[in-house]
Amino acid sequence: MIINTICIFLVSCGLIFFIGGAVGIIRFPDFYTRMHAAGKGDTCSMILILTGLSLYILHEPTTANFLVVGKILFIALFIMSTSPTSTHALIKAGFEEGIKMWKREDEKEGQE
Amino acid sequence: MKIIGFITVIITALLLLQAERDFPNWGDPESPASSYRLSQHYITETYHETVVPNMVTAVLADYRGYDTLFETVVIFTAGIAIIGILRVFGGNQAEHKEPQLTKQKPDLILQTTCRLLLPIIQLFALYVVAHGHHSPGGGFQGGVIFGASFILLALCHDLKYAQKWVPERRILNLAGFGVLLYAGFGVAALMFGENFLDYGILTHLLPGSIEEARSHSMLGVEIGVGFTVTAIMFSIYSLLSSNGKMKEGI
Repeated sequence: MIINTICIFLVSCGLIFFIGGAVGIIRFPDFYTRMHAAGKGDTCSMILILTGLSLYILHEPTTANFLVVGKILFIALFIMSTSPTSTHALIKAGFEEGIKMWKREDEKEGQE
Repeated sequence: MKIIGFITVIITALLLLQAERDFPNWGDPESPASSYRLSQHYITETYHETVVPNMVTAVLADYRGYDTLFETVVIFTAGIAIIGILRVFGGNQAEHKEPQLTKQKPDLILQTTCRLLLPIIQLFALYVVAHGHHSPGGGFQGGVIFGASFILLALCHDLKYAQKWVPERRILNLAGFGVLLYAGFGVAALMFGENFLDYGILTHLLPGSIEEARSHSMLGVEIGVGFTVTAIMFSIYSLLSSNGKMKEGI
């Protein structure tokens, strides 16, 4: 029962982060902030959801289920290392291509 | 011209939809594919004859070994054709002005992640090849994953760095070796007086009973497929990314 509650809490937290990431990709003004939303949201929410799922599987603590949990945790580990790296690589490539950063309207006027 | 294309598409779609009505329903037990006794034989007898739980692998590598052998040859030929078309040897390099890529310094974060992940990816590729008997997987899939690991290496460092491990010569050797390994299993069966690719007779060479010999030969065949696919995957990437010069690139 308690485990179920924790599972639901973790998975719904993950979904909220996912929604945040999706909204960020659409609403943020430029490339860098959009990548920020995508990278952060995906990493955090995937880890939360996967942790929730692995807890749910542990209802029946058999050997096979432990193996599945191990695999899920491995996936979480991979996402934790690859997703930020790919975001970093994309942003670095964009920065070296010289994509302009977004600025607020009043700051733009102040500079020009 | 656009209207002609549109009309052609519409007519083709109507014809296809018309033909689709003649298909049996999905999972229909009366359909030819389900009622033909060959499928019955595969479903009921595969495990007794080959000790391979995954029917797909058994059909792919044993019952229809010829098919897979020539699929591997097709991949080999495709790789050779791509090398033949794209590879540029010396000559008029000065005439072709390449778009100048901004020379980037090597990125520490990328390289560290690459170094962490690469062995795991390659280990997983080997697992996919070897575990094809029990779960989805096999030579083609594992080979693609293994080739992708080298592509990751080339992306995170550069092409030259990746070619320290898989130089052009070794790519070609590996691709040829894979096909030869596959065909070698067939020829070995011929040597013992059986049909080409009839693995059961290889029980004289491999440990275990006739059924286990078939299972082991399937593994060997899958390894051959894996070699070819790995080599061709990486050669396609390196040719495309370096404009056929195989020197630098992205």
